Amino acid sequence: MDANQGGSGASSSDFVRKLYKMLEAPADDTVVRWGNEGDSFVVLENEKFTKHILPKHFKHSNFASFVRQLNKYDFHKVRHNNEENGTSPYGTGAWEFKHPDFKANNKDAIDNIRRKAPAPRKINQTNEDVMIPTAQMDLVNTQLVATQQQLQSITERYNELSIHHSMLLQEVIGLQKTLVNHEHVLSNVMNFLHTVDAQRRRDSRAAPFPPPTQNGNTVDTQNPQVTPLEDDVPASPLQNASKLLSETNADAMLNPRNLEHMNEITMRMNGTLTTPPPELMRRPVSRGNAPGSASSSNTMRISDLDNIVYPVGQTHGIDPMYSEHIHNIPYPMPSKPVEAVDAKLQPTEGGRKKSTQVDPGWIRQPQILLVEDDPTCRRIGGKFLYAFNCAIDNALDGLEAVNKMNAGAKYDLVLMDIIMPNLDGVSACHLIRQFDSTPIIAMTSNIRSDDISMYFQHGMNDVLPKPFTKEGLLHMLEKHLAHLKKPLHQMDGMVPPQLLASTRQSLKDDESPAKSPATTSNWNSPNQIPGVSPVGSNVTDEYMNAVQGHPATYGVNPMVSNIGYNTSPQMPMAQRQGPHRRQISDIAGGEDMNNPAKRQQMYAPPLQPQPMNPMQRPR
Amino acid sequence: MAKPVEPEPTDDRSEASIMGLPDAGDMLDTSTFEQILEMDDDEEEREFSKSIVFDFFTQADNTFSKMDSNIAKKDLAQLSALGHFLKGSSATLGLTKVKDSCEKIQHFGAGKDETGTHDLSDEVCLEKLKVTVEQAKQEFKDVEKVLKKFYHDES
Repeated sequence: MDANQGGSGASSSDFVRKLYKMLEAPADDTVVRWGNEGDSFVVLENEKFTKHILPKHFKHSNFASFVRQLNKYDFHKVRHNNEENGTSPYGTGAWEFKHPDFKANNKDAIDNIRRKAPAPRKINQTNEDVMIPTAQMDLVNTQLVATQQQLQSITERYNELSIHHSMLLQEVIGLQKTLVNHEHVLSNVMNFLHTVDAQRRRDSRAAPFPPPTQNGNTVDTQNPQVTPLEDDVPASPLQNASKLLSETNADAMLNPRNLEHMNEITMRMNGTLTTPPPELMRRPVSRGNAPGSASSSNTMRISDLDNIVYPVGQTHGIDPMYSEHIHNIPYPMPSKPVEAVDAKLQPTEGGRKKSTQVDPGWIRQPQILLVEDDPTCRRIGGKFLYAFNCAIDNALDGLEAVNKMNAGAKYDLVLMDIIMPNLDGVSACHLIRQFDSTPIIAMTSNIRSDDISMYFQHGMNDVLPKPFTKEGLLHMLEKHLAHLKKPLHQMDGMVPPQLLASTRQSLKDDESPAKSPATTSNWNSPNQIPGVSPVGSNVTDEYMNAVQGHPATYGVNPMVSNIGYNTSPQMPMAQRQGPHRRQISDIAGGEDMNNPAKRQQMYAPPLQPQPMNPMQRPR
Repeated sequence: MAKPVEPEPTDDRSEASIMGLPDAGDMLDTSTFEQILEMDDDEEEREFSKSIVFDFFTQADNTFSKMDSNIAKKDLAQLSALGHFLKGSSATLGLTKVKDSCEKIQHFGAGKDETGTHDLSDEVCLEKLKVTVEQAKQEFKDVEKVLKKFYHDES
């Protein structure tokens, strides 16, 4: 046996000898000493031992490795579990080790103590498992936390980048639109020049004494037969200009659809981010004032509005209280002065109330625009929002809401009544969607199926049935303002950021169920938020009935949100369709639900210790 | 009919409100109304909910008188709009009966039956409206009485 172990045989007793020597130093008695019977030794003060004694004798200060070493020499920790009080006679924190040949009065016997052969290692292993975890688990944990923090910072960086990305996109889109507008202006100028040109030629023809025309050709007037031919021919510089213009048609050259689509996608990812280019914000105004530009593609869209009358009365909105408004056509835009918007944003401060104050934990205070004509609903809704620690701005009707947003007020969410004087909520939403994609939630008691599908068609993101409850409202806020929520346990590191956790609610079953929700959410969610939306003609009756039948369920269900922009539902519809269906069945109770189990998983606590697996055990 | 209500200023507010509104029965949806009571900063003064409720009284009075004049004018569309308007606020306060009647007014005004599913002739609707508006007024008076007692204001 000795031979087998080779060199280690000589040094093996070295450790034991050091051990013996250490116990011979009486100065350290209070920290480590022989046991009462002299057949064991006791470490009384673990900490001091590790800090002071170990370095002196063994040139390291790692208690765990000291214990491992002991184990290798077949020392065993003496346990006191069996005794009546279960505590060691040397105190609770004491460690007592024993070896049959390690005795205070028998120094020679220590030569018999040998390092164990590797074979019986298994026995060691079990001992180790009991003793090592603290140190080792610490390591594992720190590594885990570090990794999680890394993950989080990557995620944050990613979010930041995607925000920048969408800002740039907005800018580019804005520029494109400006360009297109310039194009239209140019073509208007051209038209004007053409008429001027024609006019001039006519004038010159009509003049009794023909002044030299641009050709310097006086024959024209003398040969009236010729002039009709030339009448239609504009001056050549004009011709050239028109030709150039038609060649460089911005509409054809740029492909705004792509960008808009991209933008839409980003919007959905970020929840909301609104930087309407300045040019866009003026648009609704220009329609009223400048019918001449009706040929531009931008204003065309606005005039579509004339078709989207809310189907109650022909007044584009109802004003029960002020019938004089009824005869005002709401659409010519701001007849009302837009107040200094920000002045009305009252950050809720002070006077916070006890139990009724639910702070959902916003990163910053969400800015909510409450559009509601009915004072009762407005005050109660405002009070609830206040309780949820939101800053509230009010608009009394759709027109005011559009004006506010058009004037550049930024909100995180708009709560929109439907039936309002001057401009109903649906039309207002449609208008706002021309330049802004802030989530808009319809607040209404009209939740018939065709109503709801119309809300979605015009760009609403969700419906909050009236009378709403505090919980329903809070749910809406949390759903659409998930990006403003604080991560639940930041330091834990193991819990995925709340933001992702809640956006995942809309992720649905797309995720492979095999993947650990915790890991996938960290890495993938920003990409995976599908552009699901119950918009469009394929909203089935099943869905709607479900909504009607169970308004409560409906309110709580994570219906999908963040429709960007819906003036052309057909195009994005195709992609949306898949997840959308699923959504419907979710709400309907899911007869054809392929897998309620998966869905279940979505709600399972996001924390699962799976990410441990790939970690290497240190050491 | 309503018992005298004396909401003791206890700390348990829900108990207070339940005790406070025992006889409201189906005219008042307690849980909806309690939501609003919960928003009161002071449970004795009940400043917030009181002002909302009393503003609603004014609003309802105005709306009912407009309904009357529109019945006289036979303006069904306006009646429907008024019904919808009052429906929203009464629903928000949990005034169930008033809300239901307002919904009927909304439907009748739109030329439908009371569930809003079938068309009715204008004459029939107008007749029904006359009845329903009166009914809504009565229901409003009932619940107004209860609420005024609750707020110690029985003037």
